[in-house]
Amino acid sequence: MKREGKVYTIIFTFIISFVFVFVLAVANELTKDTVERNQELFQIKAILSAMDISYQSDEEAFQKYNSIVSTVNINGSQLYTAEVNGQKIYATIFTGSGLWGTITGVLAVNEDVSRIVGIDFISQNETPGLGGRIEEDWFKRQFSGLKIIDGEIRVVTGQGSGDYDYENGQVDAITGATRTSESIERIVNETIANLKDILGGE
Amino acid sequence: MAQKSWIEIAKDNLWYNNPVFIQILGICSTLAVTNTLINTSIMTLGVVFVTGLSAMTVSLLKSFIPRKVRMIAQTLIISFYVIIVDIVLRAYVPEVSRALGPYVGLIITNCIIMGRTEAFAQSNPPLLSLWDGLTTGIGYMYVLLMVAFVRELLGFGTVFGFQVLPDNFVNWTIMVMPPSAFFMLAIFIWIIKGYMFRKEVKK
Repeated sequence: MKREGKVYTIIFTFIISFVFVFVLAVANELTKDTVERNQELFQIKAILSAMDISYQSDEEAFQKYNSIVSTVNINGSQLYTAEVNGQKIYATIFTGSGLWGTITGVLAVNEDVSRIVGIDFISQNETPGLGGRIEEDWFKRQFSGLKIIDGEIRVVTGQGSGDYDYENGQVDAITGATRTSESIERIVNETIANLKDILGGE
Repeated sequence: MAQKSWIEIAKDNLWYNNPVFIQILGICSTLAVTNTLINTSIMTLGVVFVTGLSAMTVSLLKSFIPRKVRMIAQTLIISFYVIIVDIVLRAYVPEVSRALGPYVGLIITNCIIMGRTEAFAQSNPPLLSLWDGLTTGIGYMYVLLMVAFVRELLGFGTVFGFQVLPDNFVNWTIMVMPPSAFFMLAIFIWIIKGYMFRKEVKK
């Protein structure tokens, strides 16, 4: 068969695509369970850290999640709940659009939705090193215990090193990531409003 | 065309014909990922792996590939390896995979890889192509790491995430943003080209 002929070209393209895609499919199938477990573990860890429950290892995270956290169904919405230091905490998984893609995370609040307990992110596609820094500890720590004023929080221009005054309802934005910071403000406030609806806060 | 020796290939790819500062290829990723060293090293390791293996695969298959579809075949092979890298990262180092986000997938668009498979692997034996791909990747890697080192140091005051500059150092936020990569790369090319020309003049 001629190498430059039409028939050979078509057969060759078909075979090479088939072989490579087949190998990929196999590789994907082999790692599927690990990837799924990683994702599940990641969600569990995010819920735990938003609720301010500490854990040392993956095993402990699983264990604590199973023993402390329970899921409840209030007014048709699924929430995660736990009792930490005698306080009832509710957490919900939120999604919203960031600058480049969807930001998914966990927001935990106290029973009457007057304070945020914590926040953590499950997935985001913001610019690494800029908007992607929402996943860094200093940024997330600003939310733990933050008072919600008039049903919202504000992300403001600050020193860029973190606003740890938890009474003013404000957090510092990330320098150079204005749009991502704005998105976070919007998403968090939407989530707070949503939680208030569900939990019937004042 | 006389075949080049292994050492000549390495020298060429690392210095005399470096993909980044001589051929000015792969600039997009230089601008995008070089603000932290960790992201840069993982991304460039991925590129080294992909350039090496896809060059070898193209070279192995070159006598079967019809000329008409050779570009498509090369792209297919390259994306195959990129997806493998992505799968491995997702399964075994999920944290890194999350930090890099879409950049791993974007290795496919790195012109260096396509350039090497088209310019070298199409007309050279497999092992030599593998070597060519690997050294090209390393040539790309060290330039990016140097740019990332300066950017992370001045932008965050850290090296590989460890604080090295004193706390009262004011971070240069511009260094974290893409424009600074233009400056850094230009300064870098200026220094190296200047050095090369001076050497040539002396001869």
